[in-house]
Amino acid sequence: MAAALRPAILRHIRIPVQTLGRSRPLPCLHPLPTSMIRSMSSHGDDHLTREEVVERVLDVVKSFPKVDPSKVNPDVHFQKDLGLDSLDTVEIVMALEEEFKLEIPDKEADKIDSCSLAIEYISNHPMAV
Amino acid sequence: MSVSTASYLARRAAQKERVRILYRRALRDTLNWAVHRHLFYQDASDLREKFEANKHVEDLNTIDRLIDEGEATYEKWQHPDPYIVPWAPGGSKFTRNPPPPSGIEIVYDYGKEDHLN
Repeated sequence: MAAALRPAILRHIRIPVQTLGRSRPLPCLHPLPTSMIRSMSSHGDDHLTREEVVERVLDVVKSFPKVDPSKVNPDVHFQKDLGLDSLDTVEIVMALEEEFKLEIPDKEADKIDSCSLAIEYISNHPMAV
Repeated sequence: MSVSTASYLARRAAQKERVRILYRRALRDTLNWAVHRHLFYQDASDLREKFEANKHVEDLNTIDRLIDEGEATYEKWQHPDPYIVPWAPGGSKFTRNPPPPSGIEIVYDYGKEDHLN
């Protein structure tokens, strides 16, 4: 019964399909801009420029609550120039790690005590994004 | 500078470094425990207060004891499954799609390789 009904139903509900005329060219897929092409490897395909690192490091330092934003420049020392203490420095380095999605080993992070060192470390880090 | 002053300064420097690293680890652990960012801020400020409370302790042995206690507390409350950035060892993208070693390339010459001739 079902087998007999099936072709009848299919004939009834079939949707007419129009084929595209060959004369009309297919819409061309625009080549992606190079910035959107991601290489297959998840490593080292997007490097930061130094200017970008400087800008983002300064942004992080300026937004630290105890810092006077007008004093911040790329050569500033956290404790000598900004009047922070050692624990504040630790907090700034943590904030920088989060900003650039890094994990800096404790001993190395401990040595970062100024904007210039932070910029140097981050711009030379292959995994900073 | 006498020997005792030098040794005093060396010991102080070592203690300061221990405190910085302990604070760093404890702060990171606080972030691991906090399920929301707004909870982290309160916990971090509490942690900072604990460190600030002993800021003016002068006696070296007391400082050492306090640091030991702090480290013991940190060890005790360490998060069992901490956040690890994806590319680091233990992270979710660790060794995933590593770049091929330099000097190795794929030559696309389907069916025209030398050994077939």
